[in-house]
Amino acid sequence: MTAPDTIVKAEDIHKSFGNVEVLKGISLEARNHDVISILGSSGSGKSTFLRCLNFLETPTSGKVTVHGEEILVRNGKPQNARHIEATRARLGMVFQQFNLWTHRTVLENVMEGPVQVKGESKAEARDRAEMLLRRVGLQERMQMYPAQLSGGQQQRVAIARALAMEPDAILFDEPTSALDPELVGEVLKVMQDLAAEGRTMIVVTHEMGFAREVSSEVVFLHEGCIAEQGPPEEMFTNPKTEEFRRFIAKAM
Amino acid sequence: MSPVEILVQYWPRLLDGTLMTIKLTLLGALIAAAVSPVFALVRVHAAPMAQAPLRIYVSFMRGTPILAQLFLIFYGSGQFRPLLQEWGLWSFFRDPFNCALLAFALNSTAYQTEILRGGVLGVPRGEIEAAKAIGLSRLKTLRRVVFPHAYRIAWPALGNEVILLMKASALASVVTVFDLMGRTRQVFSKTFDFSVYLWAALIYLCITAIFVLLWRQAERRLSRHIGTRNTPQATAQPLKETRA
Repeated sequence: MTAPDTIVKAEDIHKSFGNVEVLKGISLEARNHDVISILGSSGSGKSTFLRCLNFLETPTSGKVTVHGEEILVRNGKPQNARHIEATRARLGMVFQQFNLWTHRTVLENVMEGPVQVKGESKAEARDRAEMLLRRVGLQERMQMYPAQLSGGQQQRVAIARALAMEPDAILFDEPTSALDPELVGEVLKVMQDLAAEGRTMIVVTHEMGFAREVSSEVVFLHEGCIAEQGPPEEMFTNPKTEEFRRFIAKAM
Repeated sequence: MSPVEILVQYWPRLLDGTLMTIKLTLLGALIAAAVSPVFALVRVHAAPMAQAPLRIYVSFMRGTPILAQLFLIFYGSGQFRPLLQEWGLWSFFRDPFNCALLAFALNSTAYQTEILRGGVLGVPRGEIEAAKAIGLSRLKTLRRVVFPHAYRIAWPALGNEVILLMKASALASVVTVFDLMGRTRQVFSKTFDFSVYLWAALIYLCITAIFVLLWRQAERRLSRHIGTRNTPQATAQPLKETRA
């Protein structure tokens, strides 16, 4: 059963690379306004799982439902592959390495999706792009190229680029891991604001503070399975599994 | 006659030859430029078996002298004249200009394909992922992200290829095309004055110099996003081979 306010639902996602099974059947449901933090040590499969949600990785098997649109995968073949592009357009994605298009200006980066994917007029896309860039504090940098910005600024552009598509949910793949420590805060601040305004977010992160303070649910992955899952306060104060206990002990 | 008198008397022929050289080079390079992006994508993405014919074609074109390719088309088509007439292709192959153009276009396509393949391989993976993640179709991802990067990376090597092609186009004179080399030989056979070859060399040099300047301007435009430096971050290695 899918609740009416479910935005993203993943069911029994398996993923193997060759003989190595990285994801061993993961299910997750994000409802409207949920902020789900996915934690786990490296190699736990958390990034792979996130990338399966918008089919940057094709799961070996499983089902992903976004906005009521189902994509079922069997034997590594999506059954209705033509829905993939539409699904991606509904899910924003923010990458660890920002992945801005370096040959386009900041403004062009943010306008690209609305104009090229949604077919909006340039004027309309530009207005919203400017508004979003003001919101992430980059109104002075709109005509610059990504190479001229700091990592933190680039990541804020990437967030604005994701928001410009007016997505149902935003996926964050370790958005602060590639940043210098002093730049992490400005990106986390923007993400916190997004959470506060009720955006649905799924965040793979190493930021314990963010997971604990901002998210509504924490999922801990261990060796390709969900080892523990629940409200952050409860999980952090009273970890049920030995693995998660050790994980927080190391991270704190 | 002094070298200046040679030029004064024969400049119309040299100009005519120069225009023919430019026409031959430009058309050959443009035809190759139209085909090579598709071939480059096949080289990057197609299964090994599917791209086998393309690889054979490329090795043949890069592994044999361009003069041999020209002869193969020019004299070879004569051998198959009845067949070509039957197919209605003889009127094309009868003209040495067409034969030379075909040879140069085929040859340059092979080189440009490989150069562009290097460019496509150099496109940052993450930017392609970002394009996919936002829902861009494959075609738009190619047009908006892959090729802008690939051409920027391949640009210097592509310029090099056009220059090599321009010089190789002198071979067309061997099959009676009156390009710059052909006109020069014609003038020489009348005057027996070798200074006409010096004038020809100077003209070739000028064409190349102007081309290099224009190409560099374009390179600056393509690379302006890289920052204050004018040098591209990554460029394909220019080909060191010579033609003949």
